[in-house]
Amino acid sequence: MKKHFNNPDSCTACTVCVAHCPVSAATNKFRGPKMVGPTLERMRLSEEDVEPSLEYCSNCKNCDMSCPSGVPISTLNMLARANYYKTRKQSKRDYILSHGEQAAKMASMLPFGAAIANLGMSMSRGIMKQIGISDKAPLPPYASTSFIKQFKALRQQSYPDKVVFYPGCFINYNDPGVGMDFVAVMQANQYEVIVESDLVCCGSPLVVNGFLDEAEANAKTNIQILKKWTDQGIPVITCCTSCGLMLKQEYQELFHIEGVEEYAQHLYDAGEFLLELYDKGRLNTKFGALNEQYLYHAPCHLRAQGMGLPSLELLGLIPGLEVKNADAGCCGISGNYGFKEDKYDIAMKIGAPLFQKIKESGLSTVVSECGTCRLQIGHGAQVKTLHPMTLVRKSYEANGQ
Amino acid sequence: MRKNDVIVIGGGLAGLLAAAVAAKEGKKVLILSLGAGTLTIGGGIIDVLGYVDGTAPVATPRAGLLKILPEHPYKKIGTVALEESIKFFKEICAGEGYPYMGNLDEMQWVPTAAGTLKPTCLVPKTMNTAELKKTDTVVVLGFEALKDFYPHLITKNFVNIPGFSNKKYEIVMIDPNIADGRDVTALDVARWLDTPEGLKDCTEKMAKVLKPGSVVILPPVLGTRPDYHVADSLEKALQCTFIETASVPPSVTGLRLQTMLLRYVKKLGVGFVEQALVTRSIVEKGKCLAVVTAGIDRERTYYGENFILANGGFYGGGLVAEPGQVIEPIFNLPVSAPSDHELWANSNLFSNEPQPFAKIGIDVDEKMRPLGEDGKVVLANVFVAGRNLQGYDFCFEKSGNGVALASGYQCGMSTHRERK
Repeated sequence: MKKHFNNPDSCTACTVCVAHCPVSAATNKFRGPKMVGPTLERMRLSEEDVEPSLEYCSNCKNCDMSCPSGVPISTLNMLARANYYKTRKQSKRDYILSHGEQAAKMASMLPFGAAIANLGMSMSRGIMKQIGISDKAPLPPYASTSFIKQFKALRQQSYPDKVVFYPGCFINYNDPGVGMDFVAVMQANQYEVIVESDLVCCGSPLVVNGFLDEAEANAKTNIQILKKWTDQGIPVITCCTSCGLMLKQEYQELFHIEGVEEYAQHLYDAGEFLLELYDKGRLNTKFGALNEQYLYHAPCHLRAQGMGLPSLELLGLIPGLEVKNADAGCCGISGNYGFKEDKYDIAMKIGAPLFQKIKESGLSTVVSECGTCRLQIGHGAQVKTLHPMTLVRKSYEANGQ
Repeated sequence: MRKNDVIVIGGGLAGLLAAAVAAKEGKKVLILSLGAGTLTIGGGIIDVLGYVDGTAPVATPRAGLLKILPEHPYKKIGTVALEESIKFFKEICAGEGYPYMGNLDEMQWVPTAAGTLKPTCLVPKTMNTAELKKTDTVVVLGFEALKDFYPHLITKNFVNIPGFSNKKYEIVMIDPNIADGRDVTALDVARWLDTPEGLKDCTEKMAKVLKPGSVVILPPVLGTRPDYHVADSLEKALQCTFIETASVPPSVTGLRLQTMLLRYVKKLGVGFVEQALVTRSIVEKGKCLAVVTAGIDRERTYYGENFILANGGFYGGGLVAEPGQVIEPIFNLPVSAPSDHELWANSNLFSNEPQPFAKIGIDVDEKMRPLGEDGKVVLANVFVAGRNLQGYDFCFEKSGNGVALASGYQCGMSTHRERK
């Protein structure tokens, strides 16, 4: 049984989602997942019905996760948002936040483009505020050299076992170190990593602001490229949990693209893939000891994937390393939601219990897979953050690998 | 290969209790959960047994236990284990700083938002009605703009309840001023009271309408966290007794209970996989080796020594009704149901009879192992808890959380005893 039947009538109006929605808890402006999702969807199916508070849904997916009846509530919201924007134009703010890939591409093409863009970004926060991007939001700077460029310059050891890596925009343009850590980890496991440079943004930032057609075009491009590999049984791996969710789940929930189900079977989160290697006895377990302590934050978009918290389990294999699950709910950022001027305070309020727990832990670094979660945590709790793959690589290196 | 000692399918009350018991015994436990269970729909109090037949409530849960039929889960579990489960539960609550009160020898009659009294067994101390019985004046406090709590409905109906007809009733209202564009629920008011500012604001507003010494019925709004911080602060500041009603979902008291139990099992190291739709099992020679989830991407296999099935009967997908038969989809356990499905429902909805469909479920032995038609154990390392069990109509009996608690406990203990 698959779960992408967007049937609002499966909703029994039990309100479990209302009790678990972080946005509803943070603001009474949002009428809540049950009302805005399945309840109003029944109206929308018969005639256009505009619900102003729909804009408050952050697509964090806690409603979907809590629903006892398997209703993809957040997806109904995203489809309704897309429908709303079929006849209306998004704000300039939403256009910019959804098209980070375009800006990043331009910056990466020019010499010193990233540095100039970063300087420009820091100077133009006032202008951004005018168009509705919070001047307090933790916008990520561009990396001086993108992941794709760094990867191309890397000489990998060739192995018969291969995986395709889907870096996604954040790792490619903002945090390429995570991608390089992943490649090093796979090399330590005698895998050769393939990166396709024609892949595009997964579409997650497009969907949340109603650019559904563009997201679908991206989906088709990505599936076409990745299917060449998955058809041969070669796994596709992501380190970003929102990209992962989009590529395998939301593509199926939102679009009708041929072959998507077969392709989705071969998509893996990096942590999950390595744990499966462990189960098969194929994982390189020569981990060097790391006598360090961290707190772990599980991104909502990982929890929504129905595979538990694989990276947390994986890090448990590293001797000396202590990683505790913060288990304090959504961080609030939800992709580009928390960057918006009118959503910034809501996002910070959602994240407050997590920030509090981090502060109480006394630990200085939080581990999490999601790039924007890490931005929000760094901003809200004033701590350092890193991706689990960075620790796995560090452990291998501690053992001289 | 990763393997768990106990895999629990379902993260509601039955599953959480089973996980807690097994983990406390040192087992490595993993919960596979689809949805957040139903604790926030109707949870918060533990009904053990209110009615056995439709004529009158039983005097105490223990008195009712003497009258139930042999196929009832409580008969399988036994009163000793039921009492152990209550003790276990109350120890968790006390340890977590949110103690519950009640026992099998006393019926707790808690007020509802409809102005009735509902029989139950274990309640948080904010539902202690001792002062309500004693007082000659009952104050009902409502919140402006709050949906589903109408003080006049309570006062109007309370005068018809024996023992409450001679009391005086007063209605007072305060305005939390939190509407901001949507209907206000008890959950919203409780979240307001979670904050220091809201609690201060509410205390000041209440002080204007409540006299010290008042006994006050109010909706379940005394904070969303599993503690008595809000109740204690208000009672201290206003010198009043506050009694929360049972109310409609989203259930604040249920949320407190869920938060507390999740926190407890996670402290014991219980693993948790959300969005895990378990669809089938791998069985060899009468023993389950693994269960398999169907993700939107692919299947995942979870290996274990013991498996506890606590995925909520028809509502949770633990049982599936088809024309003429009821199926348990994961292990294909035998479910006896009348082959004529016309006989499943009592079409007289408000009659004094239970619903036949509610009693459809899986037959088990005293260890909660599923039984076949021949009365023999079908799978030796599978145990069944909660709504998948046959022989009780929780709605009619007011026994839902009690069966979940006791059967969850028994399952957890069985996984432990099996290893000895």
